[in-house]
Amino acid sequence: MLRGAEIVLQCLRAEGVDLVFGYPGGAIMPLYDALEGSGIKHVLTRHEQGAVFAAEGLARVSGKVGVAFATSGPGATNLVTGIADAKMDSVPLVCITGQVRSALIGTDAFQETDVFGMTLALTKWSRLVKSIEEIPAVIAEGFHWARSGRPGPVMIDIPTDMLKAKMEFSGPVKFTPHAKPADVHGESTFAETLITLLEQAKKPVALVGAGVKLSGAVAELRRLLDYLQVPAFATVHGLGAIPPETPYYLGMVGMHGTRAANMALHENDLLLVFGARLDDRVTGDPTRFAPHARIVHFEIDPAQLDRVRPCELPIIGDLAETIPTCHNALRQVKLPDWSDWRAVACGPERAELDPRGLAQPTIRFLDELFSRLPENSVILADVGQHQMWAAQRYRSSLPRGFITSGGLGSMGFALPAAIGVQLAKPDATVLCVSGDGGFQMNIQELATVHRLGLPIKMVIIDNKYLGMVRQWQQLFYQRNYAETDLSDNPDFVAISKAYKIHGQRISEAVVREFPVSQETGDELDRFLNSSEPELLVFDTHPEANVFPMVPAGAALSEMMFEEE
Amino acid sequence: MHAFHVHYRNTQGTLMRILNAISRRGVEMPYVQAEPHGYNHRVSLLLELNTKQIGQLFRDWHAIVDVVEVRAGAPTEDMMELAESWDAARHPPASAGAGGSARAAMA
Repeated sequence: MLRGAEIVLQCLRAEGVDLVFGYPGGAIMPLYDALEGSGIKHVLTRHEQGAVFAAEGLARVSGKVGVAFATSGPGATNLVTGIADAKMDSVPLVCITGQVRSALIGTDAFQETDVFGMTLALTKWSRLVKSIEEIPAVIAEGFHWARSGRPGPVMIDIPTDMLKAKMEFSGPVKFTPHAKPADVHGESTFAETLITLLEQAKKPVALVGAGVKLSGAVAELRRLLDYLQVPAFATVHGLGAIPPETPYYLGMVGMHGTRAANMALHENDLLLVFGARLDDRVTGDPTRFAPHARIVHFEIDPAQLDRVRPCELPIIGDLAETIPTCHNALRQVKLPDWSDWRAVACGPERAELDPRGLAQPTIRFLDELFSRLPENSVILADVGQHQMWAAQRYRSSLPRGFITSGGLGSMGFALPAAIGVQLAKPDATVLCVSGDGGFQMNIQELATVHRLGLPIKMVIIDNKYLGMVRQWQQLFYQRNYAETDLSDNPDFVAISKAYKIHGQRISEAVVREFPVSQETGDELDRFLNSSEPELLVFDTHPEANVFPMVPAGAALSEMMFEEE
Repeated sequence: MHAFHVHYRNTQGTLMRILNAISRRGVEMPYVQAEPHGYNHRVSLLLELNTKQIGQLFRDWHAIVDVVEVRAGAPTEDMMELAESWDAARHPPASAGAGGSARAAMA
């Protein structure tokens, strides 16, 4: 006879889980009681949001399912932002919450919340366990949905009496999904249609999103694009899928994308979309998005099709299969010569401008840091101006090397996510770039970093403002900096010291000279190569802005390059 | 008005996910009927939608794990009749009188 809690842990082991993140509490105590000897290592974060973001970090960098535990009530509600984040960015995640005992459900018992109901709109699948016998099947099904198709978050809520109850356990079970008619999609001749569309195209381009990485189709995509030689660009989650030195690669597209990428996306007449959902940060004003384009959409999730406007050719399926199928078909035909278009789209007139203005030192600083990183490094960016600067300057071809909260834009994501990344990749250098606002949203996780001795390199780009909001206030709200002033920030170095983590502050003056001095270079190398966690606070100008910028509601061709 | 029939396996939360796809868009639901249908369940809905919303809802419904099939069709007379009666009585009932009489009723 095993307790429900032991059955849960055995089922998790059967799903390949050996590391979970969480925070104990009343209703989930039986699960914590069973942890010892289960073969599962538990990482105690200092807030449930830290746990769920850490689980996301592990999942995003490894492709495995991240797992977070929390208790009922506030423990469960504290997971909600992470669940929403995982939904937006297609992260495989299983959250297991304790619930008040069955007899108390619905009575507004102490620490009771309807987390099942609360997360219905945010999860891909969820269950409130009603009997101990259900546990093996529920966990098997939850993991299936978390990792299958377009990955996403799953919530499993288990009343505490189910965790304590005992039953004969014959072992974990396998889940076999029902087939549904909606899974069958016609268009068996898509390769033929694609050839026709390419033959008619004068200005084809390729847009690469996270789906390429999630499908493990990066190598297939690179081969196809090398064959097509069409101008290509990536969303923030697609960064790294195309090596940055590729001659037809134009960089990041969207609100803070490169001029070349946004112009090509605006002007093209055939848009090949690979695993991207075309959200508003990528399209700008949807009514003026790529006005001449016919769209070919490679996508695993039919729900992502036709969001902006109907696509000419949906190619639904796992990109690891559909891309090679198309590539094989395209190799049989002679495609048009697009060199004239490529010369325009990738030409020197559209090349990136050298960093200008007040942001120049920060950009140089990031360039210095990034250029000194070993090849297998993972960069995490929090949310805000520093996120966009980091994305703009990211120059690695490591597919899962740049991790950020893109869809939900959750400030406070990067530090706890870096914990998950470092645990999943113990040999990698993990660089966590945050702003002074976001860092304070999960600053308590410094304790987790210290406890585990994780050599995470943390950088705070400190402009003493909620910088991205301030930038919008400057540009679109007549400099009314309402409630974005953080000039009374705490002393981050002193805080890190209190958490027993070495910290130091540098001013932007050290990167004004280019290249940086030997002394500064040595200091940055010491920071990156330390075997201990390190914090580096970089003081930057309060009014530094991120450019290029496509203002909200503008077309991609209407980029701003400086304050007007 | 457009009629929709969403066929689903009646698992925990599936009906709520179907309805949530509607409510998150602020669309009112003058007619909702859920019932067993063959091996599965079916919810019939009458909704006032624009073309874009129809596309969005079809995609969102199809993405729900236990949704089996989504069909659109013309509203039946019964549906329209019930929807119209709902429309006429949609506002919460108000107090019969204002001022003193309302206070008296509360007392």
